[in-house]
Amino acid sequence: MPAPTCIVMIARLGKIIVLGTTDAIGVWAAVGLFSSRSWAPLTCLLAGLGVLNFVLLSKRAYPLRYILPGLIPFALMVAYPIIYNMSIAFTNYGTGNRLTKDQVIAHFENMYYLPEGSERFAYQAFRDADGNLALLLVSKDGGELYLALDEVLRPVDAGDPRFVYEGEEIVRIDGYHQLSRREVVRLLGKLQGVSLRRGEDTIRLVSLNEFAVYRRSYRYDQERDVLVDLRTGVEYTPVQGTFTSPTGETLQPGFVTWVGFQNFFDIITNPRVTGPFFRVFRWTFLWALLSVVSTFALGLGLAILLNDPYLELRHVYRTILILPYAIPGFISIMVWAGLLNVDFGVVNRILRSLVGVTIPWFHDGFWAKVGLLLVNLWLGYPYMMIVSLGALQSIPQELYEAARVDGANRWQRFWKITLPLLLISVAPLLVGSFAFNFNNFNVIYLLTGGGPPIPGAQTLAGQTDILISYTYKLAFGGAGAQYGFASAISLIIFLIIGTISALNFRFTRRLEQMSGGL
Amino acid sequence: MKRYLVVLVGLGVLFGLGGAVWASKPGVLTIWADDTRAPILAELGERFSAEYGIPVEVHELPFGDIRDKLVIAAPAGEGPDIIIGPHDWIGELIADGLLEPIPFLEEKKDQFVPVSIEAFTWGEKIYGLPYLTEAIGIIYNKDLVPQPPRTYTELIAIASALTDPEAGRYGFLTHVPQPDPYHSFPFLTAFGGYIFGLDEEGVLDPCDIGLDSEGAIMGAHLILELITSGLVPAGTDYGVMTGLFNEGVVGMILTGPWAVADIRAAGIPYGIAVLPTVAGRPMRPFLGVHGFMVSAFSANKALAMLFLEEFIATRDTMLALYEADPRNPAFLPALEVVSAEPDVAAWAANAALGIPMPAIPEMAAVWAAWGDAIKLIVTQEMTPEDALRAAADHIRELIGCK
Repeated sequence: MPAPTCIVMIARLGKIIVLGTTDAIGVWAAVGLFSSRSWAPLTCLLAGLGVLNFVLLSKRAYPLRYILPGLIPFALMVAYPIIYNMSIAFTNYGTGNRLTKDQVIAHFENMYYLPEGSERFAYQAFRDADGNLALLLVSKDGGELYLALDEVLRPVDAGDPRFVYEGEEIVRIDGYHQLSRREVVRLLGKLQGVSLRRGEDTIRLVSLNEFAVYRRSYRYDQERDVLVDLRTGVEYTPVQGTFTSPTGETLQPGFVTWVGFQNFFDIITNPRVTGPFFRVFRWTFLWALLSVVSTFALGLGLAILLNDPYLELRHVYRTILILPYAIPGFISIMVWAGLLNVDFGVVNRILRSLVGVTIPWFHDGFWAKVGLLLVNLWLGYPYMMIVSLGALQSIPQELYEAARVDGANRWQRFWKITLPLLLISVAPLLVGSFAFNFNNFNVIYLLTGGGPPIPGAQTLAGQTDILISYTYKLAFGGAGAQYGFASAISLIIFLIIGTISALNFRFTRRLEQMSGGL
Repeated sequence: MKRYLVVLVGLGVLFGLGGAVWASKPGVLTIWADDTRAPILAELGERFSAEYGIPVEVHELPFGDIRDKLVIAAPAGEGPDIIIGPHDWIGELIADGLLEPIPFLEEKKDQFVPVSIEAFTWGEKIYGLPYLTEAIGIIYNKDLVPQPPRTYTELIAIASALTDPEAGRYGFLTHVPQPDPYHSFPFLTAFGGYIFGLDEEGVLDPCDIGLDSEGAIMGAHLILELITSGLVPAGTDYGVMTGLFNEGVVGMILTGPWAVADIRAAGIPYGIAVLPTVAGRPMRPFLGVHGFMVSAFSANKALAMLFLEEFIATRDTMLALYEADPRNPAFLPALEVVSAEPDVAAWAANAALGIPMPAIPEMAAVWAAWGDAIKLIVTQEMTPEDALRAAADHIRELIGCK
């Protein structure tokens, strides 16, 4: 047998063994998921197994073998969170509405209350050889004895022939022997679920030492989908995920439910949300644009300086200039917040002693914006510098020589050669940087928190809030966390950024076509 | 072959995600606690296991993560039996249906500082076993302020005499202008202002907002005067305030027990004073209480109650918790033991004046609008009247009371 065929055989055998083992494990897991009624994971498992078998066994799906290893992480880490986020946007998920309807119904159905002056019982627990329980209860009111061998509590006489006494204490009942306190504690899990019946009464465990007569608080009527308060008779019907009485009283907790486009209507029709929206949007756009322009300008300028072969110690400078990139952004931002402190900050102290002015950095909207841009410049220029340094290397030196021969000066060479050629490779990164700064939550939140507030505006939006920090305040600044509402806004932001990026990329492509010859 | 392995590992990870590790299991008590409390609870857990043969698992989580993880894990059947946390979580957790009332505390509530039980009470039920209380007070430098002020007028007089910004010396600093609404609460209460009123059932009424009540506005004027008189620079933040105090150039600061460790390390001869009175009425701080809570999704509720009753609500446990984190015990027998220490007595006096921080989820709306109002007042963009009225109206609208 020629060697290649042998290798192919071994590879094929290996494939069959590995695939077979995976399938076996998958089927074993599927049985477990089926018996625990976890339908969603089961569907994913079976679909995943099906795809895996198809890809590895079918000749037609051969190309997929190369794409699939990339597609799976994509599906897990990109597609799934986006789809999940989108689906949340159509629900009322958030504080007060976290449980499923079944969980909420179970919550109310398992609510018992101790009526005023409820009868209480001391108890003893007994167990027979088969592990069956017997409970002997003594009423604390009248001292009557009751015995429960199943779920029914029956009155018994102290002189019952089944009882075996040791002094005053009953130590055995028929085949049942008394349990020690330690044994009772181990059975607490079981005991707390015990409901004993005595006529109309339900008798349940109150504490380690006591049983008492309980009443159920609620009953769920499945056919009419109403929850009945057994004390008052009031019927609660589910409205938007909350059980609500005819008079508008609601019961906590509510449950997660599908609310359609309600969250989007709330955004559009609520003047509190839409009022500052355009103001916030304008600043967000300006902020992203100025951040990109300023960091790119400084980064490129430094890159050109560092690219000059006649500059001494350029490696040292380069290392120093990259430093802001190496310090975690959170720390830089906190340090800058201190440096820019109006009364105690170093920046203002220097300004005061040199020129005698005090800049109200975070007390005034305009200066807060200037401060943010300065800090973001500090955080962002090293990235632009690194990118530009790389791109500058790729510009052919002959072009500059030819330009010099033609008599072009430094400015002309920069504007006509360096910048256009640089933009071809850097423009997509600038688009990316724009999108990043559009959603640059950290800088805004840590430095100004969106403040200073807008005087008299009665809105959550501050003067330096960008869309994403505004979303955060809307979602978490009302009553608890409103994930559904937040998801709906983030979907809208996603659409805005998507549109801007698409337009940008179209422009970039034109740029590439224009300089396509080079 | 390598490619197949990648696929297999990917699928393996996908399938493995379902496995729950920290779930509440019948017969095993699971506790979530922060790194300070976890070792003590682990030791108690071992004693509980030895006594009753029930294993106790203590999982250490960052303090703030406990709530965030509980709200996701508990409904999925993967939550703990017992958690620790501050009382202002209970409003949200009860609204989410995640907390179980603790009935045995009804009979034992005399053993706790009364306001700490009040803090964990919701409706008619108690949802947490309190173990520590904290409230802010005046911390003063004994070198600069030999005798702490008892009235606000005295405080201003001492502060005015000491303050000299040119020399870098301050008589009284607070980071209220940062803005920090939490620390501004004593000013608000000095004239009878409040955040939420109570309804007929004794539950906080989110629609009765007292931020624009007359007392609250008068209190805001006190804050504004601190700025305009030049005693407190508007740029004072927490770092500046404690930093300068630890350099020994500040007479008095307004803050809580969390600042004391650094002050001790800096070697400042400090004392703790009760908040001063304003025109004969006390300035009342927010009271924070930490406690043990039981999950509504616990599979071992009765066991959890037994553990809390027999192992946590004891003098020795409460003292051990105090040793690990010296903040005032909420359990009276333990508080008596340590109350000989001057710090404890002073913080207890401040806590006794305290009003529990409102635990309802609507508080989120209040913090934001209230902070904005303070910022606008201290930067003198708006008068206290206008700023607080606008804030209160905004809150009413956010909560949906209009």
